[in-house]
Amino acid sequence: MAVCVAIIGKNNSPKFFTCLNPDEELNFQYKVLWSLDVVEEKLNAGSKGGTDLRELYLGMLYSLETHKIYGYVTNTKIKFIIIVDSTNMALRDNEIRSMFRKIHAEYADIVCNPFYIPGEPICSKSFDINIKNIMTGTV
Amino acid sequence: MSRSATRFDTKKVNSELVTLTYGALVAQMIKDLDNTEDVSKQLERLGYNMGIRLIEDFLAKTGTGRCLDLKDTADKIQTAFRMYLGVQPNVANWSPAGDEFSFVLDTNPLTDLVELPDDLKSLKYCNIICGAIRGALEMVQLDVQSWIVLDQLKGDQNTEIRVKFIRRLEDAMPAGED
Repeated sequence: MAVCVAIIGKNNSPKFFTCLNPDEELNFQYKVLWSLDVVEEKLNAGSKGGTDLRELYLGMLYSLETHKIYGYVTNTKIKFIIIVDSTNMALRDNEIRSMFRKIHAEYADIVCNPFYIPGEPICSKSFDINIKNIMTGTV
Repeated sequence: MSRSATRFDTKKVNSELVTLTYGALVAQMIKDLDNTEDVSKQLERLGYNMGIRLIEDFLAKTGTGRCLDLKDTADKIQTAFRMYLGVQPNVANWSPAGDEFSFVLDTNPLTDLVELPDDLKSLKYCNIICGAIRGALEMVQLDVQSWIVLDQLKGDQNTEIRVKFIRRLEDAMPAGED
């Protein structure tokens, strides 16, 4: 069960941020910011080889005492960050992968909305509800 | 709203193109025209122009003859919905005089994945369908009025388009294109 999900645009501007506990929001925003550095590092390491083959799922970016942070970058350089509570339960790798895949599908759907301008922050209520469902695993 | 893992189903891919094209068209019109009323009117006019042409295509493909009464007309329009949009609407809410009825759509391919932002709450997104019905029926000498009653984009359960028969056009040349 994820506690926080963030979507960052290709120029590292925040597009969407949500967390289950509103008190910890600032704390999680800092964590997401730090993890962006790790994402950049992984992206640059890949491009040094000159190859285009890069998996979208980046794996665990950071492991803190209480939380683990996972990253996923699409081919359009949109970054999804999931923060998971490590005390909760041992989430297997492919559960995280499937969460990312669902978030990616939701993101693709919201981009298809003709009234959403790519590059703007996402303020759709139904998107919020869907992401929360993915986070709590009720999809 | 979620997209299932699409294997390359050609029919599904084509409908997404229509949805995205229509969405882009409406979004561009919103940018060009200032108020949503004008956009709704333009969409209706677009639909009208499409309708007067679609009726020829429909009659050529189905080869149906004259309709006996309005119920017949409603059934034919239902067939047309299936042919062109791939949805099967229900015909419901007949008025007691038998001159008004509604098409109830629970899915609408034009509005897949569309969400109206708050400042466009008065936009009649599906007005193109109303215009198409009006245009098509005018070419077969039926003057009707068609409008949207319920709209899924505005939170209703399904989309309802009401059609009202005004009069029969006797030996009148169809009105010129708007």
